[in-house]
Amino acid sequence: MALLEVSGLCKDFGGLHAISDLSFQLQHGEILGLIGPNGAGKTTVFNLITGFIPPTSGEVLLEAQSLLGLKPSAVVKRGIARTFQIVKPFRNLSVLENVTLAAFLHEASRPRAEAKAMETLARVQLHNKSAVNAADLTLGEQKRLEIARALATQPKILFLDEPMGGLNPAEVENACGLVREIRQDGITIILVEHHMKAIMAISNRVIVLHNGIKIADGAPRDVVRNREVITAYLGKRAA
Amino acid sequence: MKRLLTVAGIAFLLVAPLLTNNAFFQHLMIMVLFWTLLGASWNLLGGFAGQVSFGHATFLGIGAYTTMLFYLSLHWSPWLGMLAGGVLGALLALPIGLICFRLRGPYFSLATLAVAEIVRLVALNWEQLTAGPVGLLITTLPQVSIADHAINWESKIPFYYLAAGLTLFAIGLTYAVSRSRLGAYLTAVREDIDSAEATGIDTVRARVIALVLSAFVVGLAGGFYALYFRYIDPDAVFAISLSVEMVFIAVVGGLATTAGPIVGAIVLVTISEIFRDRFAAGHLIFYGLFMMLVIRYLPEGIWGQLRFLLSLERRR
Repeated sequence: MALLEVSGLCKDFGGLHAISDLSFQLQHGEILGLIGPNGAGKTTVFNLITGFIPPTSGEVLLEAQSLLGLKPSAVVKRGIARTFQIVKPFRNLSVLENVTLAAFLHEASRPRAEAKAMETLARVQLHNKSAVNAADLTLGEQKRLEIARALATQPKILFLDEPMGGLNPAEVENACGLVREIRQDGITIILVEHHMKAIMAISNRVIVLHNGIKIADGAPRDVVRNREVITAYLGKRAA
Repeated sequence: MKRLLTVAGIAFLLVAPLLTNNAFFQHLMIMVLFWTLLGASWNLLGGFAGQVSFGHATFLGIGAYTTMLFYLSLHWSPWLGMLAGGVLGALLALPIGLICFRLRGPYFSLATLAVAEIVRLVALNWEQLTAGPVGLLITTLPQVSIADHAINWESKIPFYYLAAGLTLFAIGLTYAVSRSRLGAYLTAVREDIDSAEATGIDTVRARVIALVLSAFVVGLAGGFYALYFRYIDPDAVFAISLSVEMVFIAVVGGLATTAGPIVGAIVLVTISEIFRDRFAAGHLIFYGLFMMLVIRYLPEGIWGQLRFLLSLERRR
């Protein structure tokens, strides 16, 4: 049985079909890359599955249970955590407090939640910045903070929205390593990313979206040779 | 330092009414306590969770009318009536919260304003229940004895201690919330509501709980108002100006701080009396000017700024 099963997912914004009849499955332990040109609907897919916006039609099943109609916080409790493309840390709170808030989900006592949060921060190498205000971190650190916050909710699936956007090459390398480590800990990952080299290197499978329609789904090296994908990215003449 | 301030504050609270026989000063002290109580309750939702309500007079009015009506028609003890006022305020807060918290930011604030106006108009027009604009009057309060001493309700001292007890309760509640998981959740809601949801916080639930707690305490305060003034009408207890004054107290004192409302109430009640005395008809102009200066130069409130200067707390 698939861990996550999306079938016939549609979202219309007025007359615009943002997502049309999207279906895919996610197996336990995969790293699935979701790519496509700007405006293809990648973030919308995240928002639909995580409960931030309701789909027009379709079904989303996590371990055979529907997620439709749940509030984002309820989806997190079921085991799907996410990060945001434009980072949204609690800016005026310390790094530790940011992650502690997430750890509270499974740990009511503050000392234990803080201990959990420190462990999680160590995993993303932010433990030496625990007392710093989130607003004072670099972009790369803020992205890692968001990952730590998501991890602290103990998810089964982690949705990463452009975890490498705006990072320098060394930080991208670092982020790739982190994603692999998280997978090794038994957490399944879906990531939206524009950084092609990175996504080709770490994904087991890639889905390509174009104008809200899935145009390819397969191993990274097959997908990049797909004629439709090249057309979507570079235009007809290149294909 | 913080503990010292707390102990000194409580000690002063206990002996203050013995320092003067002047009924006007005693009245002013009661008003400071009353507004501290309201500011602290408003702060629970408006300060900690950042949900600015312009409709808290609703709960004050519900508390006042409940206490009055239960006493006049059902002959309940006013103390029980006061408690009932708090409970009814909290119950009413439940549907209000579930409806208004679907909205965010300024839209939420406008919704609370609308609800408060609806409740005021109902109170004004439902004459069988509330006697409408004529209002309700209690002529005598029932006799209560503590350790064989009958309490003299004509004196202001018993009301002072009643107000002091309620205020300590409100401040204690604020402090407890600020240290709890709920308090942390409310801070998350204030900082970024999407991130709070993505962190697994049920933001509607957290906000409704804060509103219910806040409404309960404001309901108690409403009961106190009814007993102290012994006369209420819809324009006295459901007025928008009351809701706005609660916002002022919390903002001038310092949002999301435990001691802020105390400072806010002391400063605003004093200043309002001085201005009224000095400038008579134009006093509200100066009051408004003072508000503008505070908001412009002390955006974190007077206590918010003092606390930073005294470094009682590391700046967050």
